Amino acid sequence: MADIRENDIESRDEDGSASVSRLAWISSGLGLLLFLGSVGVLGYEGITRGNGPPVITAVVVEVVPAGPRWLAHIRVTNDGGKTGAKVQVEGQLMAGDEALETSVAEFDYVPAGSEQKGGLFFDRDPRARDLRLRVLGYVEP
Amino acid sequence: MDITRQRSFLHDETQFAHALARAAAGAIIFALPLLMTMEMWELGFYMDRFRLALFILVTLPVLFGLSYFAGFEETFCWQDDLIDALSAFAVGFLMSAVLLTVFAIVRLDQPLPEIIGKIALQSVPASIGAMLARKQLGQQDDSDKERRIRSSYPGELFLMGAGALFVGFNVAPTEEMILISYKMSPWHAVALAVLSLGLLHIFVYTVGFAGQESAGDDGFLSVFLRFSVAGYGIALLISLYLLWTFERIAGLSMMELVTATVVLGFPSALGAATARLIV
Repeated sequence: MADIRENDIESRDEDGSASVSRLAWISSGLGLLLFLGSVGVLGYEGITRGNGPPVITAVVVEVVPAGPRWLAHIRVTNDGGKTGAKVQVEGQLMAGDEALETSVAEFDYVPAGSEQKGGLFFDRDPRARDLRLRVLGYVEP
Repeated sequence: MDITRQRSFLHDETQFAHALARAAAGAIIFALPLLMTMEMWELGFYMDRFRLALFILVTLPVLFGLSYFAGFEETFCWQDDLIDALSAFAVGFLMSAVLLTVFAIVRLDQPLPEIIGKIALQSVPASIGAMLARKQLGQQDDSDKERRIRSSYPGELFLMGAGALFVGFNVAPTEEMILISYKMSPWHAVALAVLSLGLLHIFVYTVGFAGQESAGDDGFLSVFLRFSVAGYGIALLISLYLLWTFERIAGLSMMELVTATVVLGFPSALGAATARLIV
């Protein structure tokens, strides 16, 4: 029994791995590429991102009519090192120092180095007034 | 003659194409519960990049070992196992990419690290599924060689570990793992640990599943210690690693950490016990 096994292994060696089919080479080469690529991208991200707290900012992209109300499209960006979860963004329509209207949107996750989009609804047209955005807080995921 | 027929799988284009197609089916079937799990998308999005990269790195030796013990085709040297492992990773990655794109979880306007993270995390269960496809979907002819390796002690431990990883991974990303551990008292945790160990031993040696071990001439205590306790230990270690990878244990007290590990250790132990059924 053991002798037969030995012979099999020897005959395989004679054929050499060159007899592995082209398709096998292609698929395994693709696998290697995807493997090294994903580990490389993730590792690079890990190195360059750092480990600081989330630094989250919000800006108004545009304001459009939404039925009887107004919708302010907003974009939040995290330039920090860690992900913020449950990020609350508050938008206030200001008349001088007084807030006429307040709307809040919550983002489940704003990962480090990425941006998320959302919107705030208002009864009055924000384009005619001063719209102040504030990022209120986050929790660690 | 048997060997010649089996060898043709890797060396014949048509046969290999069939094996790839079967692997793709396996990737989809095994990864489907996780592909449609919200926590997995979010983890691929926000989890620590080093832990994710490490997890992908760990996947390759597991795939290599699975190819050695099961695999989507018979293999005869380590180069063949490497080709199988990399092919399974390619299939798992591509299937994940296609499905996540169709689900609109991955969109081209997202940043590249986000896209890679989501796909790469899913490619772990998908590529393991691709590797197991032969066992589950293909022909069930274990060669003598395979049986011999499987019955060796390190082989047994590896298979238990792979089974624990596979089943544990299916529930580890969910919030419920931590929620259950919050609800449990220390006595619940002790009861669950005893139950896990008992079920592991019974599943492997008593109830008569296909491929179960015969205890042989060894005494109960020897078998219990060498296989069941060792298997449960592996299941717990893998559970702890999974919880760490998915950032589920940051800031937990020692008591909560142990409880969470025991909770995830339950499915992992069942995975270890039934490894011969699924692997």
